[in-house]
Amino acid sequence: MNTHSDNKYLIACHQCDALFDKPELKQGQSAKCTRCGCTLAERKVDSIERSYNWSLAGILLLMPAILLPIMGVTLAGQYHHASLFDCILVLIDRGFFMIAVLVFLFAIAVPVVRLFGAFYLTYSFKFNKLKPSLLYFFRAFHHLDNWAMLNVFMLGIVVSMYKLIDDTEVSVNMGLLAFILLLISSTMAIAALDHDYIWQELEAEFAD
Amino acid sequence: MLTNTAKSSNLALCPQCHKLNDYPAYADKKEKVQCVRCLGKFYQRKPYSLQYTLAWNVAALIAFIPANLYPIMIIYSLGIGDPSTILSGIGQFVDQGLYPIAAIIFTASIIVPLLKIIGLFLLVYRVYTGVRLRPEKHSKFYHALEFLGPWSMLDVFVVTLLVAVVELGFVTSVEAGPAINYFTLTVIFTMIAANSFDPRLLWDKKQNSETFKEENDNR
Repeated sequence: MNTHSDNKYLIACHQCDALFDKPELKQGQSAKCTRCGCTLAERKVDSIERSYNWSLAGILLLMPAILLPIMGVTLAGQYHHASLFDCILVLIDRGFFMIAVLVFLFAIAVPVVRLFGAFYLTYSFKFNKLKPSLLYFFRAFHHLDNWAMLNVFMLGIVVSMYKLIDDTEVSVNMGLLAFILLLISSTMAIAALDHDYIWQELEAEFAD
Repeated sequence: MLTNTAKSSNLALCPQCHKLNDYPAYADKKEKVQCVRCLGKFYQRKPYSLQYTLAWNVAALIAFIPANLYPIMIIYSLGIGDPSTILSGIGQFVDQGLYPIAAIIFTASIIVPLLKIIGLFLLVYRVYTGVRLRPEKHSKFYHALEFLGPWSMLDVFVVTLLVAVVELGFVTSVEAGPAINYFTLTVIFTMIAANSFDPRLLWDKKQNSETFKEENDNR
C-alpha cells in the first residue's frame, strides 16, 4: 500500500495501468512500458524553443492557407477556383449546415486553436509568464488531440485532384503551398510539445 | 504473472496530465477525484465504458446504412445529373484505371469504418466475457483503430472540395448528396465510440481472471 508521499516516485502507464518507478530521463530519451509497449514518459529535445518557433510559423501561414485558393479547374474556357474557406461557404449555401460546421471545426477551428494554444503555452514558458490559469488551459488543450484533421484534408486535396485531372484542366494555386506548409508546421509544433515537462514545471510552480 | 497496477495500489492516473493520484478505497468506482496537479476531476476507469462504446457503435452502424444507400455526390454536366454512391464512386475510379486512388478511398470509406465498428464490438465482447483475451494484441489493435478513425473523413473532404471547386455553371457542377450527412455521422460516432473505450479494462479483466485461477489452483 502506497502512502501519499511516494506517489512522486511512481508512474503508471496510461494505456494498461501498470505501475513503475519513475525513470530519470535526459533530453531525447523515452521510457517504454514493459507490459503493453506504449511510451511511458519522454523528454523531448528543446521542446519549448522548437514548439514556439513552429507554432509561430504556423500562425503566420494560417491566413494564406485558409483564404488563398487551393486549386482551380478550367473546362470549356471557364475557370473557377476555391479556397478552404470557400468550401465552407459553398456548403452553407447548399444547405449542408452540419457538414459545414464539422468541416469548419476539423479543418479550421481545431487546428487554429491548437496552434494558438501551443504558441501561448510556449510563449508563457519562454518568457517566464506562468499563470495558474495555464493549468486549466493545458488541461482543455488535451481534449482537441483527436479532432484536428489537416492531414486528412491534405489527402482529400490529392484525391480530388486525381478525380478532376481526367476530364478538366487542374491548376494549382498558392493556397496549396501555404496549406502544405501549415500542415507541416502545425504537426511539428504539436509533436515538439513535451507534455510531461510542461506538467512538471506547472506543478512545481503552482502545487499547493 | 500479476503486475502491480495503479488500481491495485489504490492509485489512479489523471487522464489529462498523467499524474498519479491517491484513489482512496472508500471512493466507489463511480466517484470522481480531483487531480492534485491539474485540478481536473476524473474517474479511475471510464465509467460505463463498455456500455457507451456499444451504444455509439450501434449508432454508427445504423448511420452507415443510409450512408451507403443514398448518393454521396451528384455530378451535373450540361444539365444532366449523375448521382453516385460511395461504392459506385469507387467503381468509377476502377473503370478509369486509377487503382491506387480507388484503393485509398475504399480503405478510408468502407474498410476503416467497418473495421472500427466490428473491431470495437469484438473488443467490448472480449472484455465483457473474457474469452480468449490477449491484452498485448488487443491493445495494439485498439490503438490502430483509434489512429485510423479520422482518416475516414477523407471522402467527406473530397466531396466538399469538389463541390467548391467544380462550379462552372451549366457546363459542369457538383452537388453533395444526402449520404454525406450520414457518412459524417458514422465517422463521428465511431470516433466517440473509440474514445469511450478504456483499454485498461482489457488488462484488468486479464488480471482478474488470473487472480481467480490462482486462487482456484491454491485451493
